[in-house]
Amino acid sequence: MILGPSGSGKSTLLRCINKLETISEGELVVDGFKVNDPKTNINLLRQEIGMVFQHFNLYPHKTVLENITLAPIKVRKMNPEEAKKIALEYLKKVGIPEKADAYPSQLSGGQQQRVAIARGLAMKPKIMLFDEPTSALDPEMIGEVLDVMRTLAKEGMTMVVVTHEMGFAREVADRIIFMDEGQIMETGTPEEFFNNPKEERTRQFLSRILKH
Amino acid sequence: MDFSVVFNEAHLKFLWDGLLVTLEVAAAAIVLSFILGIILGTLRYTRLPVISHLATLYIEVIRNLPLLLIIFFGWFGLKEWGVELPITMSVILSMTVFTSALVAEIVRSGLNSVDRGQIEAARSQGFTYLQTLNYIIMPQALKRMIPPLVSQFVALIKDTALAVAITLPELTHNAQIIYNKYPVAAIPMLLFVALIYFVINYSLSLASRRLEKKLAG
Ligand SMILES: Nc1ncnc2c1ncn2[C@@H]1O[C@H](COP(=O)(O)OP(=O)(O)OP(=O)(O)O)[C@@H](O)[C@H]1O
Ligand SMILES: [Mg+2]
Repeated sequence: MILGPSGSGKSTLLRCINKLETISEGELVVDGFKVNDPKTNINLLRQEIGMVFQHFNLYPHKTVLENITLAPIKVRKMNPEEAKKIALEYLKKVGIPEKADAYPSQLSGGQQQRVAIARGLAMKPKIMLFDEPTSALDPEMIGEVLDVMRTLAKEGMTMVVVTHEMGFAREVADRIIFMDEGQIMETGTPEEFFNNPKEERTRQFLSRILKH
Repeated sequence: MDFSVVFNEAHLKFLWDGLLVTLEVAAAAIVLSFILGIILGTLRYTRLPVISHLATLYIEVIRNLPLLLIIFFGWFGLKEWGVELPITMSVILSMTVFTSALVAEIVRSGLNSVDRGQIEAARSQGFTYLQTLNYIIMPQALKRMIPPLVSQFVALIKDTALAVAITLPELTHNAQIIYNKYPVAAIPMLLFVALIYFVINYSLSLASRRLEKKLAG
C-alpha cells in the first residue's frame, strides 16, 4: 500500500509501473520486463497488469459484460464464449452478476468500481494496481469495494494500492510505502509503520491523519 | 398571387429535374466528405508528425475560403489547367473539398471530447493506440458528432444552390430560368422552391434528433 499526502507522487509512481506516465530517468523492472526500456513491448506487459482508477473509467457505450470481455477478446484474442464465461464468474465474485446487461450509467458508484475490478481481473493479470479506488465513492459504498479487495488480498493477488483508508491499509497491507515530495520516505510492515515510524515526516503525517 | 406558372406540368417536370441534380450532388458530396472528413479529422487528432500537420494545413486553408470561390476553382480553374470534368462532378468535388474540412473539425472535436480516463483505461488493458481509437474513442465520439454533422450536411444541401453561379442545372437554377421567362411568377416560384428546401432539410433535422435519442438510450 502506498500512502502519503496529496501531491506527493503516489499516482505518478503507480502509473510508472504500467507506463501510463513517461519515465524520464532511472530503471523500473516489472515481472522481468524493463518498463523504462523503449524496446519493451509495453502492450504485452500491460496485459499482465490490471488497473483500477479513482473515477472507474468504465466504457460508457458498452454493457457491463462487454466492458469486462472487450480486452480479453480483442487483446488476448480469447474466444468470446470463453471470455463471457470468465466475465460472469468475476461478476459473481464482485457480487453483482445480475448487472451483466446493464450500462455503467445505470449503476451506483460502488457497483461501477466493482465492475472495474472485475474488468481488471478478467485479463488474469499478475498484478493489480489501484489508485484511490474508494476516493470518489459515497461513504456507504466504500465498504463493498474494500470487501472485494480484502478477498483478493486473502487469495494471494499481488496488489499495489494507493489509498487514504488508513484502517484498511493497516489491516490488509503486507508492506506500507510512505511517499512525500516525489520520494519514498519510508517502507515497512504496517506494525512498524503505524506503531513505530522511523521518519519525522511519517510521524507528522500520521498525527495529522489519525487525529480525524 | 398566381401559382399557375409554377404548377404548369412542363415547369414542374423541369423543377423536378433540377431537384434530382440537387439531391444527386448533395448525396454524393455528403458521403464523400464524411469519409474524407473522418480520415482528415482523425489524422489531425493523432498528432502524428508531418501527417497531422498536413491535415491541419488542408483543414485550415479550406475552411477559411468562401465556398463559392472553391466552386469557381473546381470549374473554371480546373478547365484552365486542362481538366475537363462534367459540371456535376466538378460541383461534387468542390463541395466535398469544402465540407470535408468542416467535417474534419467536427470529428476532431468529437474525438477530443472523449474523457482522457477512457484512453488510460484502454491503454492500461493493453489495447494498442489504434484499437483504443477504434473500440473506445471513435464510438463515443461518433454519437456526439451527430448533431453538428447533420447541421453541416443541411448547410451543404442549401449551398448546392451556389452552383447557380456556374450554371449547374440544379433546383434554384431551373427555377431561375422559368421566372426569367415569366417575371410575374418570380415570387411564387421562389416560395415554392423555398418550401422544397425547407421540407428536405427539416425532415433531416428531425431524423437526426430521433437518431440521437435512440442512441442516447
Ligand atoms: N518522482 C517524481 N518526479 C517528477 N515529478 C513528480 C514525481 N512525483 C510526483 N511528481 C509530480 O507531482 C505532481 C503530483 O503527483 P501525483 O499526482 O502523483 O500525487 P498524488 O500523491 O497521487 O496526489 P493525490 O493524493 O492528490 O492524488 C504531479 O504533477 C507529478 O508530475
Ligand atoms: Mg493521485
